[in-house]
Amino acid sequence: MGHASKRLYSTASKLAVSTSQLKQFPPKEAIFRGDSRKPHFFDAESWAALQPPPTSSLTAFAHRIGLGTVLTSADEVRRACTHQSFLNLHAKFYPTSPAPLTNANLATIGNSLLGLFASEYIHASYPHLPTRVLKAAVSAHVGPLTCAGVAHEMGAASLLRWHRQPTTPTSPALLHSDALASIPRALTAMVYQERSLSSARKFAQSFFLSRDVDLRSMIKFRDPKRALTETVVKFNRDRPKSRLLKETGRYSNSPIFVVGIYSGADKLGEGFGSSLKMAEYRAAEDSLHRLYLTRTPSHLLQLPSSTFSSSRGNVYHRSSEEDYVPGELGEAEALYASSGRSSIVAPKRPTLEEEEMRRSGSVV
Amino acid sequence: MATKHILRAQLRSYPANGHVAFVPNIRKVVLEYCQNYPSSTNTRTFLANDIEHLARQNPHVEFVVKQRNGHEPIARGLYANGRDKVVPLQGFEVNGIQRKIQLLLDSSGAKIKPLKKNNIVESTSQAARGIWSGMHVDTPFKI
Repeated sequence: MGHASKRLYSTASKLAVSTSQLKQFPPKEAIFRGDSRKPHFFDAESWAALQPPPTSSLTAFAHRIGLGTVLTSADEVRRACTHQSFLNLHAKFYPTSPAPLTNANLATIGNSLLGLFASEYIHASYPHLPTRVLKAAVSAHVGPLTCAGVAHEMGAASLLRWHRQPTTPTSPALLHSDALASIPRALTAMVYQERSLSSARKFAQSFFLSRDVDLRSMIKFRDPKRALTETVVKFNRDRPKSRLLKETGRYSNSPIFVVGIYSGADKLGEGFGSSLKMAEYRAAEDSLHRLYLTRTPSHLLQLPSSTFSSSRGNVYHRSSEEDYVPGELGEAEALYASSGRSSIVAPKRPTLEEEEMRRSGSVV
Repeated sequence: MATKHILRAQLRSYPANGHVAFVPNIRKVVLEYCQNYPSSTNTRTFLANDIEHLARQNPHVEFVVKQRNGHEPIARGLYANGRDKVVPLQGFEVNGIQRKIQLLLDSSGAKIKPLKKNNIVESTSQAARGIWSGMHVDTPFKI
């Protein structure tokens, strides 16, 4: 076989629709009969998009993600992999057949559950994290891009049934990644339904909360030195003083300065740079990172949702007496710009004179 | 000093397969054989005797058996990253076929990169002993 034909066969095998589940292949609608009066329309791509994934691939998927015992029926998995947009396509080609079950409701429940688990986990792990960074971290852990990535890694991309929706005046376009993102959310909701809240939390932990998120890059400052000063004053400590610890090559083309920021005798942070200002800036950033990114060790983690019962039934029923000590609330960050809206730029409002002039101008 | 706004829709996390849960990358194994040619004899024996046990041992993989007359026997593994690995099965004994399929099951599907070409090691985890700094030793190096 030549190289090109091998590539073609490889692509075809990746896109192949399983024929083992079909009653007849090629399907009746695909066969052209010259004697029939009826016009012949058949689009192979639409037909392929309408076929449900085979039972074997659905059960294999359930086992691959460790839910072989939880999702016992292939129909449940099929439901989790069917996006709401698929209904449009199905109704177009099979208007008389009953509509397939979709993951819309499950995805909504799953999204809320994932948000709950991520928020409590991140808040318990990093008690001093600023609120906006906490929100960004939650988005990073369970947001749309991560959910789409998780679906890809699970191998759900070939099982997804959806239909591309163009932009309408009332709704934005539906993207493949958004349709894919609904699958892990629906699976979380299914685990919650079939088992319990703690099982759903374990599922979220293993697929979402163990992923790699760079929190340092999310903590940004407009003026870290000023932010540090305000924070230190808030904690009733001595004002920060920066001291040059090490330097080399001051008059060369690549100097290195190492600056430490001290509050009294305690070193808060250290930074390097090719200029004194840069080194001091990094030292201030480092000190604030050391404060905000203090992490609770995993064996001391106390999650509020662990107070829910881990057995099936009423979720508000009190669980067996386990010691739950609520974690300490971290110190709120010091906001050093007025009213906490320093980074939000509102559109410029017209002054009274400008408004009057506009009104009088339109009248005249 | 202006800082760039963090766009919420662009926030993502990176995979850490195996840190808590491990999701095998193999999705499907397709075995193609010919009914008549002698090069497929061992493959046909394997399919008659051993494939069921292997499929039961690996419930996370979908096994597909296809008859393709007039062609050499192959095993094609399809992975979560969208790639496929094709292994020809002619010339192998039955246990060799088993080992080749096991090779597919164990693989990640990533392209095989030559490791001896560039000695740059890429890793997401931090250095275990920290990166050496000439300024943080007893006698710092002075230019």
